[in-house]
Amino acid sequence: MLILLQNIIRFVALVLLQVLALNNIQFLGFLNPYIYILFIFSLPVKLPRWFTLILGFVLGLSIDMFSNTLGIHAFASVLIAFIRQGVIGLFTSIEEGSNPTPSFYTFGVGSYIKYVVVLVFIHHFTLFILEAFTFNHLGMTLLKALLNSFVTILIILGIQSFRKK
Amino acid sequence: MRTLFNFLIQYSVVFLFLLLEIISFTLIVNNQGYQKSVFLSSSNRVAAEMYEISNTVVEFFKLRAANENLSEENTAFKNQLIILQNKLNTLTKNTVRDTIHFRIPPEMEYQFISAKVINNSTNKLQNYITLNKGIVDGIKVDMGVISDEGVVGIIKTVSNRFSVVIPVLNPKILINCKFVRNNYIGTLVWDGNDYRFANLTDIARHVEFKLGDSLVTSGFTNTFPAGIPVGTIEDFNIKESDAYYKIKVKLAVNFRTLSHVKVIDYLNYKEQRYLEKASEN
Repeated sequence: MLILLQNIIRFVALVLLQVLALNNIQFLGFLNPYIYILFIFSLPVKLPRWFTLILGFVLGLSIDMFSNTLGIHAFASVLIAFIRQGVIGLFTSIEEGSNPTPSFYTFGVGSYIKYVVVLVFIHHFTLFILEAFTFNHLGMTLLKALLNSFVTILIILGIQSFRKK
Repeated sequence: MRTLFNFLIQYSVVFLFLLLEIISFTLIVNNQGYQKSVFLSSSNRVAAEMYEISNTVVEFFKLRAANENLSEENTAFKNQLIILQNKLNTLTKNTVRDTIHFRIPPEMEYQFISAKVINNSTNKLQNYITLNKGIVDGIKVDMGVISDEGVVGIIKTVSNRFSVVIPVLNPKILINCKFVRNNYIGTLVWDGNDYRFANLTDIARHVEFKLGDSLVTSGFTNTFPAGIPVGTIEDFNIKESDAYYKIKVKLAVNFRTLSHVKVIDYLNYKEQRYLEKASEN
């Protein structure tokens, strides 16, 4: 029950932070970190996959509604919601019967960083290629995705490092 | 059947994943049309109201910048107002004077067609100006062209919607002009050097004038009515052996900044030409 409430609050807070504050940053004209995916990162590990997928879709669609980019964020979010389980299995070994929420404490610092980096990169590259919707200017698109990924990773790790267990 | 069922259950997540991705992708592709996206975009009510609330907060912090912008704009407008008022004052005086000059009987002898300069050069030896009006607007070859400042030139060629003017800044035309002070007549020619100055010839030794004297059109040609400003005397000299002055005239029109002109339609042109030709024979 507590976890449900926690996740609802996290969902609303992250969406508002993203659309009201971060989407207005546009630092240097193209730095626009997308940290709303922290919601997907922080879902309990043993959450049914179909439910993760639907949550990812709803999250992406909410962001899309506010930024007039219908479908782009939904696509990228569903993608990382789908591969999240696999990435967790790749970097960590969760004990049988436990259902932790991913963080530095439950995953260990190295594993959590790897987990975040892989998912952010996949999400951002998907997002920026879909946004451009063309393979022209591919170099520019990839550069933007790379730089934004770094900023997003830094912010997400920063937020997570302040959290207590 | 049982295996198929098992298969479906086993891969239900993958199917859900594919379904959601297909939905997203369809949304992306269909998002080209604006109407389709209205429901799920920031123009829907929830998103719009959220943005409204956030704007009221953000606006407060932008007030200072907005104020500065407004005051800057205000000053610019005030300056413009003063300039326009000055122009209006001078123009009213001019119009009163001009109408006297233009109203050579019979009345309404001249009409004006306003036109815009769409191509202009001042740096060549033979300059031309292109106007955005042509035959359909009533422009004919040999009509005079003036601006608010003074004489510009004469129409050389006309097409349906455009016309080309030979301006004063072209040695091919000679403008017949006279001193306001004593009505002595001379011919204005451009020497091809400076777009601000031209030379006045045919002023004989005995004519009296001073620096700064005004020149206006003589009215003896069919193209320009009398009294349109041409320029002022900038400099003059005469050698002992010469019979005529060399006079440098500062042109009234700034050809560099020329934008709007009036083409003069002399309504009695045909009749006058006909009469003159008849008497020559």
